[in-house]
Amino acid sequence: MQYRKLGYLALPLLMAAAFTTQARADGETIAVFTKNQTNPFFQTVRVGADNMAKVLNAKTLHYIPTKPDSIPEQLSQIEDVVVKKPSAIVFTPVDYKAMVPGVEKINDAKIPVVNITDRSAGGKFLSFIGADDYSLGLETARYLLKALSGKGNIVIIEGVKGSLTNVDRVRGFNDALKENPGIKLLASQPGNYQRLQALQVMENLMQSNAQIDGVLAANDAMAVGAIEALDGANRKAQVIGINGTKEAIDAIKSGKLLASGDYNGFAQGCLGTMMAIRALREQPVINEIVLKPTIITQDNFKPFDVPLESRICPTFEEAVKLGVK
Amino acid sequence: MTDITKQAISPSRSLVSQEAIQVFYRLLAALLICAVLAVLSDSFLSLGNILNVLRQASLTFFIASGLTLVVLTAGLDLSVGANVALSACLAGTVIHQTGSPLLGIVTALVVGGAVGLLNGVMVTALRIPSFIATYGMLWVLNGLTYWYMAGDTIHGFPAGFRQIGSGYLFGLPIPVYLLLVFLGIGTLFAQRTIWGQEIYAIGANPVAARLSGIPVTRRLLLVYAVSGTMAGLASIIFLSRLNSAEADIGESLTLPAIAAVLIGGTSLFGGVGTVFGTFVGALILTLVLNGMNLLSVSANWQPLVTGVIVILAVWLDMKTRRRTQ
Repeated sequence: MQYRKLGYLALPLLMAAAFTTQARADGETIAVFTKNQTNPFFQTVRVGADNMAKVLNAKTLHYIPTKPDSIPEQLSQIEDVVVKKPSAIVFTPVDYKAMVPGVEKINDAKIPVVNITDRSAGGKFLSFIGADDYSLGLETARYLLKALSGKGNIVIIEGVKGSLTNVDRVRGFNDALKENPGIKLLASQPGNYQRLQALQVMENLMQSNAQIDGVLAANDAMAVGAIEALDGANRKAQVIGINGTKEAIDAIKSGKLLASGDYNGFAQGCLGTMMAIRALREQPVINEIVLKPTIITQDNFKPFDVPLESRICPTFEEAVKLGVK
Repeated sequence: MTDITKQAISPSRSLVSQEAIQVFYRLLAALLICAVLAVLSDSFLSLGNILNVLRQASLTFFIASGLTLVVLTAGLDLSVGANVALSACLAGTVIHQTGSPLLGIVTALVVGGAVGLLNGVMVTALRIPSFIATYGMLWVLNGLTYWYMAGDTIHGFPAGFRQIGSGYLFGLPIPVYLLLVFLGIGTLFAQRTIWGQEIYAIGANPVAARLSGIPVTRRLLLVYAVSGTMAGLASIIFLSRLNSAEADIGESLTLPAIAAVLIGGTSLFGGVGTVFGTFVGALILTLVLNGMNLLSVSANWQPLVTGVIVILAVWLDMKTRRRTQ
């Protein structure tokens, strides 16, 4: 509710601001920090950020650790950026706790910073834009269990044990299972977010379980790996993944994958950049947007089945609505 | 070659039998694991599961077989996983662009082999320790692959090509045939050819090898090129089995391959070990994971159990080695 109110307040301000400050504040440089170059999710974040920057006449600079999710590397990238002094920063911590000292460095340098995707455990931010992994796991699993009419045998393929994303997603899966007493959980085994490992785990599980009706995979790569294993054994099960990757959408289109939970990475990139630029232009910002997960299915995949570059960022008015939890 | 030089470079009769004893111990360890799993799980000894384990072990074995030769020369190749990733991504692109699986296979083998050769050049001509040279190469390859893929995946290959990794012939998975072929070639090459014996001699004592007229540089180049080519082969199996490639597939392949070589009894100090031992090493690693999946061992315990088995296997090896010497 509070966001909607904020939005109403913001509108007149926005109009006034558009005339007074936009012209003098063009051409800002926004440094965008993402976790790695390997997860397609962050590619969508980056394209979203670029897209929004272009619309608002600003520039982006991308900082990505060469070793995926490397804490020391992101820390040294922050040190570099503090010297370079971009107008603002859009920041995803590679580790929500370990990067707090890094965020404090940014705060000390008085560079405005927006937190996206993973909520930092500390530091001062203009706003937070993200989705939560728990509801992503919960909603996606609910969709699968509904498709199975609440009965049948299920396996879970987990991501990297101990990683925050995995803990939350699997917790969501399990809570959805609790709501469906007719569902039997056969096994919860690790695939470490890797498709090969997921394929092998699925092959192994099929040996000891004659009937598997559903697979809850903590990301799309593992979901696709599990599907390959099922195909190889000429068996059928409903499979869901998480991330809304292009590969997952293709699999949904062809009916191999039931659904993929989408974190709205593109919108996160757009909105994070939007808030950073708006703050620089002294326009009102929304302090917190927790996006609802989108369950991509055969009924609604079309808007996701377009090249990233031609997707369109939400407007501020839409963002105000998205802000409602 | 005269009898005297042959005697100088080939292991003596007693050494060969010692190798045989080492392999025997390893097979015993593998059988012991099998026996335990057969008692604990009804599905373990099914034909389906045995083929399953062999097919899963094959990918690790392909990478590890080439690596065995490198380790026999007292070297190490840390770039194999990254090599698989780059080869798979390039081969995948070639198949997509040309529609010809054959061209893709050639690409993977050429790219893999070329990377290996480059490693060899760094080790021989530039005299960079192999650990460092191939570690550097790992970064170079990761960088190239991440840049090339930009967070994307390549997926969807022709059905004929898919047969290589997922198909069956007379009831046996095709990768299992390849496994047997390369196990045979590798064993014959290492044990029964002059080149193979020269590789052992280089590992046992490079100075003596050089003095006795072995073309050390050329043999080292060969060994690294073979290791790279086997990574290229593994990338084809990977592609056709998983039906997709992404930039970060390599990370989870390198260490298991190295572990397979070491569990298989090949000494990091060079000169001692067999390709067959490496096969048993790959088998042990696969059996452990397979067994934990069948028994639904919690995801929390799996890394721990794997770690303990690796340490136990190598400790057992050192113990039996000391006793037989």
